Amino acid sequence: MSELVALEEATDTSVFGSKAVGLGEALRNGLRVPPGFALAGPLVEAVASSEDAAIEQVVATIGPLGGPLAVRSSAVDEDGSDASFAGQHLTLLNVPSAAELAGSLREIWWSANSDSAITYRKRVGLFTRPSVAVVVQRLLDPESAGVMFTCNPITGADERMIEAAWGLGEAVVAGLVIPDSFRVARDGQVLERRAGLKRIAVRSLPTGGTVEADVLPELVERLCLDDSQLEKLNELALRCEEVYGRDRDIEWAVADGTVYLLQCRAVTRVGTTA
Amino acid sequence: MPGAPVDELRNVPLFAGLDDDELAGVAVLFKERHFAAGETVVKEGADGAAFFLIVSGEATVAVRGAGRASLGPGDHFGEIALIDEDVRSATITATTDLVCYGLTLWEFRPLVVENGEIGWKLMQSLARKLRSAEIS
Repeated sequence: MSELVALEEATDTSVFGSKAVGLGEALRNGLRVPPGFALAGPLVEAVASSEDAAIEQVVATIGPLGGPLAVRSSAVDEDGSDASFAGQHLTLLNVPSAAELAGSLREIWWSANSDSAITYRKRVGLFTRPSVAVVVQRLLDPESAGVMFTCNPITGADERMIEAAWGLGEAVVAGLVIPDSFRVARDGQVLERRAGLKRIAVRSLPTGGTVEADVLPELVERLCLDDSQLEKLNELALRCEEVYGRDRDIEWAVADGTVYLLQCRAVTRVGTTA
Repeated sequence: MPGAPVDELRNVPLFAGLDDDELAGVAVLFKERHFAAGETVVKEGADGAAFFLIVSGEATVAVRGAGRASLGPGDHFGEIALIDEDVRSATITATTDLVCYGLTLWEFRPLVVENGEIGWKLMQSLARKLRSAEIS
């Protein structure tokens, strides 16, 4: 099996990790996902080891994707799942092009072997050699982005819970802002809109990397999603449930008016009102 | 070019008994790692599975918050963690941008397990270190 495939060809979690395979499944089912590639753990390690042939393969294959790029770990553990390593492994946004990937892959490989990652692995009883697969995708320049639960994870109610902010979704994921929050019924009816306090937006820098940029004062408390976009997000939720099953935790972005799926995981805990 | 510079490795006491071929076999297992100025390289009390050799830049060593030493090119740290898998005994912080070569337990252990000659020389090196500590 090839160690470097287009995302839609990533099918084996034990090779490419659950993040890559999940995005591959989305593409195979017609969901809109930024284009990209999946790299198997041994290839990532070969690049991290500065092996010329591996670096040349990565640059030649991924080069036509252009840039900028988002480079995310898709760790493979004994269960073929990377969920337990959330936050342990590095994500690098706005890598200018494939030519800079070698250094990025080396950083991600080391993030799985950092002292904090090793401490975590020992604590959870996984003190074994990490295998770090990676997803490389075109980085969007979104107007807004965030997260969406396809059910209410607290009450278990059958409604979409959406949190959103301006720019890249890292502002929401990392808790850098009070995001706008929305509740949308399964039939698309907007049940609640609550404006947050979004003083900063994570934006790409022309030179690579990201910056926490100030948001224009008039946008800080303005809702960053309109009803049309909420409708598209509800459609995305429905499609994700058709493909993956109910109770999904979705990362999404809106770029040039189009809603993209960035990641789709199972909700780890769903509450109940009973 | 993969691996750490062999000439630098020759100065690491743990590898002092290895011949050129053995040293080359160890060197190729190292991977380059960069730290930004101000970044914590290793933290006292944390688990670790890597040994580092500094090739450029500077770092400071602190134990329980008290500064102990400065490190620069050619200096190394973390070799004992490769063997005993215990926690870090000091915090090391990059004071400038730092370029290191790192060797993890995952590469080092199979090398030693599969190569008795290297293992024996490493034991001799550790025995010398132990004897030296007993005398001082």
